[in-house]
Amino acid sequence: MMDPSPKPPETLMRAIARDLRPVAPSPGPLQLALRMGPLALLISSLILVAIGTRHDLATLGPLLAWGASAAQFVLAIALVWIAAHESTPSARLPRPLLYSTAIAASLLVLFVTLLTFSTSPASQPVLRVPPRVNEMLRISPWIMGFGCGIGSTVAGGILVLFFSWVFRNSLATRPTVAGALYGAGAGLAINAGWRIACPVSTPWHALGAHGSAILATVVLGALIGRCLGNRGSHAVS
Amino acid sequence: MIRYQGGSLQAFEEIYARLAPGVRRYLWHLTGSEIADDLLQEAFLQMHRSRAAYNPQYPVRPWVFGLARNVFLMNRRAARRWSQVHESREDLPDFPVLPEADRLGSQDEIRRSLANVDPGQAEALLLHHEWGFSFEEIAGMLGISAAAARARASRGMADLRVALNSLQRGRA
Repeated sequence: MMDPSPKPPETLMRAIARDLRPVAPSPGPLQLALRMGPLALLISSLILVAIGTRHDLATLGPLLAWGASAAQFVLAIALVWIAAHESTPSARLPRPLLYSTAIAASLLVLFVTLLTFSTSPASQPVLRVPPRVNEMLRISPWIMGFGCGIGSTVAGGILVLFFSWVFRNSLATRPTVAGALYGAGAGLAINAGWRIACPVSTPWHALGAHGSAILATVVLGALIGRCLGNRGSHAVS
Repeated sequence: MIRYQGGSLQAFEEIYARLAPGVRRYLWHLTGSEIADDLLQEAFLQMHRSRAAYNPQYPVRPWVFGLARNVFLMNRRAARRWSQVHESREDLPDFPVLPEADRLGSQDEIRRSLANVDPGQAEALLLHHEWGFSFEEIAGMLGISAAAARARASRGMADLRVALNSLQRGRA
């Protein structure tokens, strides 16, 4: 028969007593996700300020320019919200919801890319830079693709690192999946701002450079999640 | 839990006294070996490390059980002894027995039959019938919908009945 009110073992009590500093309760997943919003918005805005808005905003119209980006941003916050749920042991969401949101995010990026191209098939880089730089980018479009890809990945990477720091103590059952979701959220949030700045609409550029950057942040998030998960496993073993 | 987050050692002891027996039996169910006792201490240590991650809007019990499940899965990943864990299921001295299933057979028969039920279904079945979690709480712990949790528990009970019948027929 088991002791009706068991006492914690001495070793456990000693470990607990060593660190009993008061801690603030964690906010809920939605509040956590919304708190990530301002930083994501700040980084996206900095990109817009640095590069400037694309020259064909009037052709695209407010709905396709700002509305599509706002939709991507909202979906990015939704992904972070799902990741925050996945990181809470008793509040995980059903897998179908998780997968359908990831598929919805991919389809949204694809749809917005194709709609943007069909509305304004801008293929020439027109940036606020000296004309000879624009000419160089026109002759060698891969430089533009490389710049967008690296720039988006670095900006997304900063967000992923921030997310990882905020959620470093969480106990996700599937840390790689949770990390990938944070990465997807970060990549999508950055893409929401970057697509308003990038002057090239061609699908190969938008999907090849910007899409690769989103994938890179997903992979980075998954790797960080896996590392944090392994750290937990080592602590257990 | 809020008092514990505020730094009360006594609050921790109260949480341990209330939850440890159930968590221990749950870990016994998951591991089927004496490693459950080590994992129990590890689960409470993880709870302490992650106490800042607890949000008062959620009930404490499912959170701690979910955390214990994570500790078990992390341990399984680290040790990579999944097959060994299942091999030792036959020797469970403290394996939980469903109160609802009590009338269906002896405790030993139920234990043996539960080992033949799909692990996912057995887990949902035990979480609901043995530890009294609602299907919504089970859904949050397992990452499935409440309907799926209900279906797993229901299928588990049906499979348990079948396993019990065949065991009893075999003995007769």
